[in-house]
Amino acid sequence: MSSPPTSSPIDPSLPLRAKGGDRQAFAQLVELCYPRSLRFALHMVGNREDAEEAVQDTFVRVYHHLGRFRDDGRFEPWLFRILANRCRTVLDKRRRHAEVIQYGDVPDRGAPTVVDGPDWMEEIHKVLATLPVEQREAFLLRHVEELAYEEISAVTGVRLSALRMRVKRACDVLRMRLAEVRRDDR
Amino acid sequence: MTDERDVVIEAVRGTLRASVADEADPRAVARILSAAWAAPAPSRWRRWLDAWHLPVVSRVGAAVVAVIALAAGFVARGVLPNRAVAEPMAVTGEFPVPVVPASDPRSSAVSTQFVFEAPAAQSVALVGDFNAWVPTAAPLVRLPSGVWTVTVPLMPGRHVYAFLVDGARLEADPRASAAADADYGRPSSVVMVPGR
Repeated sequence: MSSPPTSSPIDPSLPLRAKGGDRQAFAQLVELCYPRSLRFALHMVGNREDAEEAVQDTFVRVYHHLGRFRDDGRFEPWLFRILANRCRTVLDKRRRHAEVIQYGDVPDRGAPTVVDGPDWMEEIHKVLATLPVEQREAFLLRHVEELAYEEISAVTGVRLSALRMRVKRACDVLRMRLAEVRRDDR
Repeated sequence: MTDERDVVIEAVRGTLRASVADEADPRAVARILSAAWAAPAPSRWRRWLDAWHLPVVSRVGAAVVAVIALAAGFVARGVLPNRAVAEPMAVTGEFPVPVVPASDPRSSAVSTQFVFEAPAAQSVALVGDFNAWVPTAAPLVRLPSGVWTVTVPLMPGRHVYAFLVDGARLEADPRASAAADADYGRPSSVVMVPGR
């Protein structure tokens, strides 16, 4: 089964060309980074509509702030830093409006087959929804997007030791809650 | 990778990773590009604010930064030029702008996106009754996937259109209904734009 790649497939010259005003390069960046960005946003905010809005808003911001992108920097951690902030904004807005978070809209249209069926996915999202945002964010960046802890630290501004603790706690909760689900299924 | 991984976490990881298709939806990409290229560049003040928002530092750090920024803002406002602001991004002008200038917001025109797949084409233009079939009025922009796109403001109602490929060949939109009343047998399609 294929899935959006985790190791950076991005030619380092692409963001620099986009920064220089090359719109084709920016279009290519969007096309390359969209699947991973949507995946992260979907699992952070829990529904496709908000995720797509966060992703679109992120790329618009990226476009207008390319001038700030460091020439020697890696593009994806920079992108995820903005995207993570947009997702947090979406979640904050939702909390302020006291709306109920509905996980279960995922997987999205055109998604590959889920190995363990839709119930398994639903259970994962239920548990993810119970995690504090910072734990969910750290878990997704580490285990799904496979960023290095140093890169996550750059994304979130959190120290490595605190990040490791967040990921560990998220794993503990997921392991405990989902192991029960798996046992019940047998 | 790390010692916290085990069977359950691997299963979670595999499921979440496979939950989104690995190919970007061309329509979504086109929407994003249209939004990015159509949106006005943020004001200098907005950029200055964003510069503080983009990097997330620790909560304590954020508070310190906020206090410093606030104090600096009071002191420097109107006195110091904002040198930290990046210059507006250069636009080469060699690349066609994909979005026709936004319509008057007071009018009832509706932004309508057109997408056409033609990987081998050198140019594609949108022609229709809304632009008097003028080939230069609405050029499409090519995405890396070979999909072309443009967004134009259209008045509510029925419009007949086609894509002019390489300046020579008219093609109907395979995603839309064919126009029954195509003049002189030229291929064309129909879009119904709903009122606001």
